[in-house]
Order: sequence, then structure tokens, then C-alpha cells
Amino acid sequence: MFQLSEEGKAYVKSELARYESKQSAIIRCLYRAQDENGGWVSPEVIEHLSQLMDIPAAQIDEVSTFYTMFNQKPVGKYHVQVCCTLTCGMLGGRELTDAMMKEAGCKKLGDVSPDGLFTFSKVECLGSCDTAPMLQINRDPYTESLNTEKGLKLVRDLRAKGGK
Amino acid sequence: MPESNNTAAPATEPKMLKMTINGKEVEVKEGTSIIEAYSQHGMSIAHYCWHPGLSVAGVCRLCMVEIEGNPRLQIACNTAVTDGMKVNNESEKVKDAVKWGLDFHLINHPLDCPICDQAGECGLQDQYMAYGKYTPEMAEKKVKKHKVVDLGPRVVLDSERCILCSRCVRFTDEVSKTNELGIFNRGDRAEIGTFEGKPLDNNYSLNTVDICPVGALTSKDFRFRQRVWFLKEHNSICTGCSTGCNTRVFYNKEGLFRIKPRYNKDINGYWMTDTGRDAYKFVNKEARLLDARVVSNGRGEWIAPKLAARKAGEALKGAGKSVALVVTGQYMNEEYEALLSYFKNEVGTDRVFHWINNPETFDSFDGLLARGDKNPNTKGLLAEMAKQGFTAQWRELAEGLQTGAIKTVVVAGPENQAVFPDLKAKIMELSKASKLVWLQAGKNDQLEALTGDVTLIPLKTYVEKTGTYVNYAGIAQKVHKGLTVVPNALSLVEVVALMKGEELPADDTYNQVGLGRVHNEFTMVRGTL
Repeated sequence: MFQLSEEGKAYVKSELARYESKQSAIIRCLYRAQDENGGWVSPEVIEHLSQLMDIPAAQIDEVSTFYTMFNQKPVGKYHVQVCCTLTCGMLGGRELTDAMMKEAGCKKLGDVSPDGLFTFSKVECLGSCDTAPMLQINRDPYTESLNTEKGLKLVRDLRAKGGK
Repeated sequence: MPESNNTAAPATEPKMLKMTINGKEVEVKEGTSIIEAYSQHGMSIAHYCWHPGLSVAGVCRLCMVEIEGNPRLQIACNTAVTDGMKVNNESEKVKDAVKWGLDFHLINHPLDCPICDQAGECGLQDQYMAYGKYTPEMAEKKVKKHKVVDLGPRVVLDSERCILCSRCVRFTDEVSKTNELGIFNRGDRAEIGTFEGKPLDNNYSLNTVDICPVGALTSKDFRFRQRVWFLKEHNSICTGCSTGCNTRVFYNKEGLFRIKPRYNKDINGYWMTDTGRDAYKFVNKEARLLDARVVSNGRGEWIAPKLAARKAGEALKGAGKSVALVVTGQYMNEEYEALLSYFKNEVGTDRVFHWINNPETFDSFDGLLARGDKNPNTKGLLAEMAKQGFTAQWRELAEGLQTGAIKTVVVAGPENQAVFPDLKAKIMELSKASKLVWLQAGKNDQLEALTGDVTLIPLKTYVEKTGTYVNYAGIAQKVHKGLTVVPNALSLVEVVALMKGEELPADDTYNQVGLGRVHNEFTMVRGTL
């Protein structure tokens, strides 16, 4: 059964106090809980938040299924979100994704690689068209101005780092 | 300026506003929305998501009206009436907007009317006849969604038919306050659903089926059993508990099929309980006692109820205090009056006992509609007992049976046996009497298996007779005879007349036939269903 850490619980409390309605705090609390749950929102997470925030579970689930930033399935340690909208797409975003997925051993978008390190998704414009193609890992700063070579190196580096 | 919180201020009459709807001048109270003004004055306007018993969502965009002086069309459900407002929903501009709105609703709707349960009472069908764009311009493939989703013990969802009006979600949020339903996912993948492990399981869940304007939510009990256009409608009262919700029963020659609530602002509003909707099952023939049964000398035979009542009456005449009467709160005022005065004046006994079916939970209330007193007319019975001066306690009955002071027991038993958990025990207790006359609508194997001197007489149910029920708050409500299910059954009034030795009038004067019959309704009124 999922439980937020003590700091997490304190965070939820402070967020609840911040807004006029409890519902307004749902997104921020879901972000926090997703981070603590290893990158995805499981039904247990929703149930826990529902108890903690005193909001019906269905209402929290409505929010979590509406926004694509909340993952409904488990993800790898590195959730690689490659931009494939216009500029990145024209400059090879999709080919980059395919190459990186092959290197990481992911068969499909959204799948976790066998070593548990990677999950790839194609996302809509992240607003960094001048440095296309680009991607974002988890909620870290962007990795920009990529090409296939750099992408493959990125996967190898992360594997070396994450494998430890 | 904000209103003051001074509650001592005298209540002022709400200001009346003049407005013009489709060229007709009308007056409405201040604070009324345009769609309410349409509804109050019986004018039709296209709508799905608006329901008078729920909050305003404004999601279907179908109730467009043109307001004079306003360049853009407005939705009538979320626009308040102002003084001198001129609105109309009959202009070409409005018709065009509604047409397109409807076409967008139909983008992903499967149009499977021939196999859909809602066909015949569907908002989408009704609107389509009025505003349809008969040549659809959507060439895209329809989105596939979940079919036959089991939402809970009583409700099934077909996501493809759903137009996401959110009425059911608002119902669980605002009325039942159980919050089971939500709209999950986004855009054309959005679907109604429940959070896993929390099914739609409350005593009001079937109201969501009533307010669903399309065939997305259907009742497990009713689905695939009848086409709605083969059903007749009759106004009645729910006898499931002492609240007395106003209902409409749907029936044909095979019996009753379902019960829906009818609007009554003083009693039930727009809603009713799921348990109350089961109050048709004991009316149908398969659950009924069809003829009178007389057992004597260990031999039982089925005879005509009228004859059985006459015979029982001969034995009761002047029998005095050896006779006890046990009454449940399931009958009508008129029946109580006839029965109790007969026992007081002609039989000559004061041993009249009130059978309380569930004394532990009798006074409970769930906060919305359901009450622990599962009898429609306890008030009426108590009033009649007080009028006749009957004050006997149940204890005296037990003693009388023990000592043999009570020889004959007449029971006006439960009409709805399901709400009498102590029925078995009471039959055991009362059958100790040397002669038992049991009046009841439903069949009961235990009663039929009794040996000794027993008479069972079949009674009519609440849809087969005319009379008055008094609810928990003392509101008297009259119901009319709607149909006959068991032709041989008698009402208590008729039983008493036969016991006295009178003849029954040939022309059904006890029951005025047909007064509660209603004709089918159309779109505007379905909001009140």
C-alpha cells in the first residue's frame, strides 16, 4: 500500500491551505505523489491522496486521467519524452526516438525496457524549437540539439549511470 | 452590492420580471434562468445537460437562444433573465446552431437505436426529429469505446452511446453525495466511469438511469425486457416506505415492468429509491395468491375468494372478544375504516393489534428519502385505531393465545412481504390460534402449508384499488386503480362488505378506474421524469 513520506504529507497539507478550493490542489499533490511512487500514478496513490485530502477518489482520478503528464502505467527510471511536433519532427525527432528505443531495448512506446531503466514517449511541443530535436527526461531540464549519435550516447551514458 | 445577512428582515415578494419568449409576453421571478422560463411556460427548447433538479453545467450547448441586442447566441440554462429581455429559439440562426450542435453530439454516437433500450424515450431521438441534420457531414470513423460496462449492482453503461452531458456525475455529487461517477480521460476518449473498487452502489443509483438523456445508462432490472412504447403509464404512490414518493408505474397486459419517480416538490422532488423501484415485483401474477384457500379437518381446497370471505364472516358474526385482528400498515385509509369499524361494531372485539414489522429500525431515516418504517400508511392506521379507541398491546395477543381466550385471529397481512423480516415468526405465532383467517395479496408457501382451521383470502395490491395513503409527515395522497392483475382478488373494503353479508356492487364503485392514467410525454417534460 502506497504511503507518502512525512515531508510529502506536509506538502499536501500546505498545498491544501494554499487554495480556495481543495480541488485546486489536486494537480500539485498528484505530481508529488507520482514522483514518490516511482513515476506513475497507481490506484493506490489515488486512494491514499483521496484519504489524505478528503476528496472522492473518482474526482482525483478524473484529473489524473485528463492530463498526460500523469502516467497511468509504470515507467522506467528514465522516462524519455521526445518532442515530435513540427520542428523536432522535421529535424528527425521520430527517427531519433526509434534509434534510442532500439538501443535501450524498448519494443513499443510506453514500454519499460528489460533492465527497467527506460520508457519512451512521443510528446507534443515542449517549446524549444530553436534547439530541435530535443527531449526531456523525467522532469529534469531539457536535453537539446540532438542527433542520432548524441541520442545513442545519451542512452549508453544513462545506462552506465543508472546501472550502478 | 452584497446582500445583508440580517435574517430578521421581512421576507419580500420576489420581484417579477417581464420578458418576451418567441413573441409571447410572460412574467418570471427574478433570478430565473431563460431555460427555466421556457419550462415554466411550457415552451419547448432543445437541451440535454440541464436538469431542474441538478446544478447547471452548460456542456451540451444545445439550448441556444437569440437575445435581442446580443450579437451572439447564448445558452439558455446559464443566462439569467433580465427585465424586458426578448429571447427566441425559433430563428434560423438558432436552428442552425442547434443543428450543428446535435451533429457534433452524433459524431461518435453509434446510432444503434434498433437494439437500444432507450429508443422511444430518448432525448437524442426526440431532438433529432426536431433539429436533425439529416445528411451527416462527418466522414471520420467513430471512436470505439467500452460497451456493457458493469457500473454497479443495478446499472450498466454503454460508453459509445454517452454524450457526456454529466447529469449522472452531478447526481452522484450533488444529490446522493456518494461521488462514485466521474468523467475519465480527455477529448473523444472521455468516458463516464467509476474509480476501481468503488462501484455505483447506493440506494439512489437508478435515478442516474432516469436522467440519462440517451441509452448510455440502463437498468439491469429493466433492460431488454420491454419496448417502452408497448407500456402504459399510470400515476401511483410508492408503497416501499412511509415517505410515499410519487411514482409512475409502467405496465402492459403481462403485468408491471418498472417504476419511475414523478415530480412532487413537497415529498420526493425528482427522485426515488432503488428499493422503492422493486415495489412492482410483488404485484405481478407469479408472486400472487390467486384464489382463496380453505383448510379444515386437514384437507385444503381452493375456492372463490368471495365465497371464502362470506363463510369467514358468518363465523365472525357476534363472536366478540374471542376474535383478534392483526393489522399491518400496508393498507389504505378507506380499508382501515371499513375493517376496524366492522370489528368494533359487528364482531364486537377490542382486540385489535398493530403489527410493526421492524421495531429496531422503525424510526430510522437515511437523510434523503428512505425511511425505516417500511409501510405506506402507518399514520393512517394509527389514526383510525385511535378513532375507534383500540389500545391493545401485542403482549395481550400472546397471552390471549396462550390462555385460549383468543380463538380466532384475523390478519391483514403484508402486501410487500419482503419488508417483513419477522413474517415467518409471526405466522408460527399466530397459527397457534384455533382458527386463522389470513388476508394477503402475495403467495406464501408457509401459509399454504398450514394445517388446522385456516382461510387464506387474496387481496388486491396498491395499483388495483383506489384509496388514500398518509405518509410519515401526515400528507394524505390518493391513488387510483390502474389495472387488474388478479381478477379474483378483493380489497379489504370488499372483504368487509362480504363478511357482513352484503353483495358487491356490479359496477366497481369502490374503484374509480382510469383516473391515474397518463399519456406519453415528450422532450420538455422528460426533464421532470
